[in-house]
Amino acid sequence: MSTEHERTLAAVHQVAAERSNGSLLCATQPHSDTLHFVVDRSAMRAVTGGLVDHLGARFLISVGTDRRPLSGDFGVLHIFSLDRDHLYVLVESPIPADDLRIDSITPVVPGAAWAEREFQDAVGVRAEGHPDPRRLLLPDDWPEGLYPLRRDFPYNFRPPADDAARPKLAGAPAGASVFPMGPFFPVLEEPSYWRLFVEGERIVGCDTRLFYNHRGIEKLGDSVLTYSAIPHLAERICGICGFIHSTCYCQAVEKAAGIEAPRRARYIRTIMLELERIHSHLLWLGIAGHILGFETVLMQTWRIREPVMWLCEAICGNRKTYGMNTVGGLRRDLPDSVRPELLRVLAEVEKEVVAVREAVAGDSALHARTQGVGTLSEETARSICVVGPPARASGVAIDARIDHPYAAYDEIRPRIVTEEAGDVWARVVVRLGELAESIRLVGEGLSSIPDGPVCAEIKDEIPPGKIGVSVVEAPRGEAIHFVLTGGDNRPYRWRVRAPTYPNLQALPAAIRDGNIADTPITLGSLDPCFSCTERVETIDRRTKAVRVFSRAELLKMCRARAKGGG
Amino acid sequence: MDFFVLSVLKALVVAGALMTSLAYLQWVERKVIAHIQLRLGPYRVGPHGLLQPLADVIKLATKEGIVPSHVNKPFYLLAPFLAVSLALTSIAVIPFGPEIEAFGVRTYMQLTDINIGVLFLLAISSLSVYAVTFAGWASNNKYSLLGGLRAAAQMISYELPLAIALAGPLLIAGSLSLREIVEAQQGVTLGILPRWMIFQPPAPQIFGFVIFLIAAFAETNRVPFDLPEAENELVAGFHTEYSSLKFASFFMAEYANMITMTAITTTLFLGGWLPLFPAEYGSNFVPSILFALLAAAALYHGLHPARRKDRFSLPVVALLLAAAAALFLIPIVQTFLLPLFWFLAKAGALMFLFIWVRGTMPRFRYDQLMSFAWKFMFPAAAVNLFASALLVALFAR
Repeated sequence: MSTEHERTLAAVHQVAAERSNGSLLCATQPHSDTLHFVVDRSAMRAVTGGLVDHLGARFLISVGTDRRPLSGDFGVLHIFSLDRDHLYVLVESPIPADDLRIDSITPVVPGAAWAEREFQDAVGVRAEGHPDPRRLLLPDDWPEGLYPLRRDFPYNFRPPADDAARPKLAGAPAGASVFPMGPFFPVLEEPSYWRLFVEGERIVGCDTRLFYNHRGIEKLGDSVLTYSAIPHLAERICGICGFIHSTCYCQAVEKAAGIEAPRRARYIRTIMLELERIHSHLLWLGIAGHILGFETVLMQTWRIREPVMWLCEAICGNRKTYGMNTVGGLRRDLPDSVRPELLRVLAEVEKEVVAVREAVAGDSALHARTQGVGTLSEETARSICVVGPPARASGVAIDARIDHPYAAYDEIRPRIVTEEAGDVWARVVVRLGELAESIRLVGEGLSSIPDGPVCAEIKDEIPPGKIGVSVVEAPRGEAIHFVLTGGDNRPYRWRVRAPTYPNLQALPAAIRDGNIADTPITLGSLDPCFSCTERVETIDRRTKAVRVFSRAELLKMCRARAKGGG
Repeated sequence: MDFFVLSVLKALVVAGALMTSLAYLQWVERKVIAHIQLRLGPYRVGPHGLLQPLADVIKLATKEGIVPSHVNKPFYLLAPFLAVSLALTSIAVIPFGPEIEAFGVRTYMQLTDINIGVLFLLAISSLSVYAVTFAGWASNNKYSLLGGLRAAAQMISYELPLAIALAGPLLIAGSLSLREIVEAQQGVTLGILPRWMIFQPPAPQIFGFVIFLIAAFAETNRVPFDLPEAENELVAGFHTEYSSLKFASFFMAEYANMITMTAITTTLFLGGWLPLFPAEYGSNFVPSILFALLAAAALYHGLHPARRKDRFSLPVVALLLAAAAALFLIPIVQTFLLPLFWFLAKAGALMFLFIWVRGTMPRFRYDQLMSFAWKFMFPAAAVNLFASALLVALFAR
């Protein structure tokens, strides 16, 4: 352990001790790259503010846990990353069960806004002083005082639906009018609702409603599934980066339980992760072209992408749900027979990607549509804790593969691609650069892959009460999985954060003062991945009142129309 | 023959040809775009998807025509009607060929040769702004309204450079009749070039041609100027609330406008029905040679072992092409088919350009489009007009 690393550790300890002002309850180091502080809730805002101000810590995610069966209280945990020092800092506060409040850290860490609203919704710990404490992930008709992630809430309980409920959305500021984008909108592959406030075609603000299709995956993980079943569910969290989530989960459990995956498994994980990045970036480039009305780019990039999907199918039998990862390594080896095919496809894709890059880079019409559009300054990107290509395009040089090396990235070193401009074009350039880099990484991984087993032998039960944090650089940014091990062969708490979560929070800043026409490509340039709602907004012509129809009213209208023989 | 009967006959022929080409233009567009994008395009309905337009027409005609309750009904219903009727009207003054004699009747290959044909075209194209504006306004929908307003602003802005660029050929021809404008382009210049307006001394309208063409893209709301219906931000723009035949009307109007625009461009700048080079150099044999070459190519591919699927269809196509080649050698047929061939060849080439651009360009943003119109197109058109006027005044005749 270098002296520099020790100095950092000392600095973190010092900040925690000073800022907590005597209420630091406990400080441990569960893993070499993880520091865990328990502070009194009154000191939470001060400690987290100190970490951000003095050490440049980057907020990752919050975890709210109902620990009543264990210790009779609740817990709120904020996870930070010290990227340059390869360190995770966990700051936790116990919350007494009879007084579920904690000071919100959003005033000092703006990027924590959604995370705090989420634990407020899910376990019922109120974030005091939150600037926008509205509901985030629960449906609008969910009864007050019912918290799905509490231990006494059965996973299959369905509260009665209230069809009259409507989202609480902000009204337009004076002088502006509302331009609804979504929930169903041609450019959104998945539904989401952005209520844009516009003056003419200029955007002066926006409000949003997401998370209607919350699937309760975390709940299933800590109530029904087992350690080795969860990777198969984790894979289905995202429609594109399945391997990323299963890897991230497995690494978190491996870390918590002290299991070391064999080198060969780590290499194969790396290869699969990079293949996923290749096909995801190609997919994104096509969608970006589609958003700009440039269908030829869509058709060509998706054609180039297809052989990569076939490759995944040749490796594991499926284009996307691979079923390869398990705690301790992999369930199946990379067959030797796909090696020549893999190399051939890679060479082919590399050639085509170069051609696409030249065509896209020199297209002045594309420059006109993307340069100076949807700009995120480095400062904003840092404060909202943007991740992945949008962060790197704004000059924030973070990449989990380098900051927190996992799988085989300690030996196969990726080069980080950054841009300064922070606009849509910079995001295109970053992704094109990463595409070439990923192709190189797969080749390198293939040539240096060691022989050996692909799965560690796990003899003992996974001990309860251990913490594991794992971060994987997905094509869209870093995915984070947090695991607190439990009994019954399943985690006590499993927390997932997908990269779109912080990036979507940056959209209002990116589209502000822009044009309606730039909104789709700005949203698209964040490469979002989200869920859906089934409500529409209409305007009553007689009263000119804006109102949102509920599902029941819509159904009634449809039926009335069908009966009328319309 | 009675003038009335003759006019009705001509109108029927032109309308029939126009409607068919409308439907098939869409097929051609889908095929060309598909091949640009390495796809096959329509392939299921009929051989090579040739019956796809028919299927589309049936589908659109039998869809339920929904009139939303919140629309301003009279204008909502008027808009598609206006769009399609205006788009089809302008074809009336386009000359497809010179005066011909068939079955003892002398007539122009043109529905009507009014002496202010150019003004008529401008008037009609200005009116068509109302169609989209009405559609956008009467729909009482934000997307429609924005689309309609964008369309109105765009069409009005681009009409200026369009009209100014169009003044160049008028200046040289000294007439507003489209037939006379074509006739003024007869002959050869510099020994080899045709005296089309884009080459004609003393003021070749090559810049005028380019400006007119770009403005024509904007007038017809085509990529890269298809903002009024930009699906990615405005759902479907001004026709968001239209379905069934009302939607089909807008669709037809767009393609009819494309045909009209290419026809006008051909007439004004590319010598209309006049051949590429005079008959004494053998231009009469160009179509025959072309069709014969195509027939040979089709036959070659049809007999190729790799094209087993097409081993019947391609020889049939080759036979048809050979028949066309032979047809063009008959002198009587030549008198009216040759001008038509040259006219359609030029208009078709322009049409291909329209489609090609769609395959290679992203959409512009609204403000970029407007500043392009006012800061570049308008001054360029004005400079072109003044320069042409000066050259004509100094050197003509």
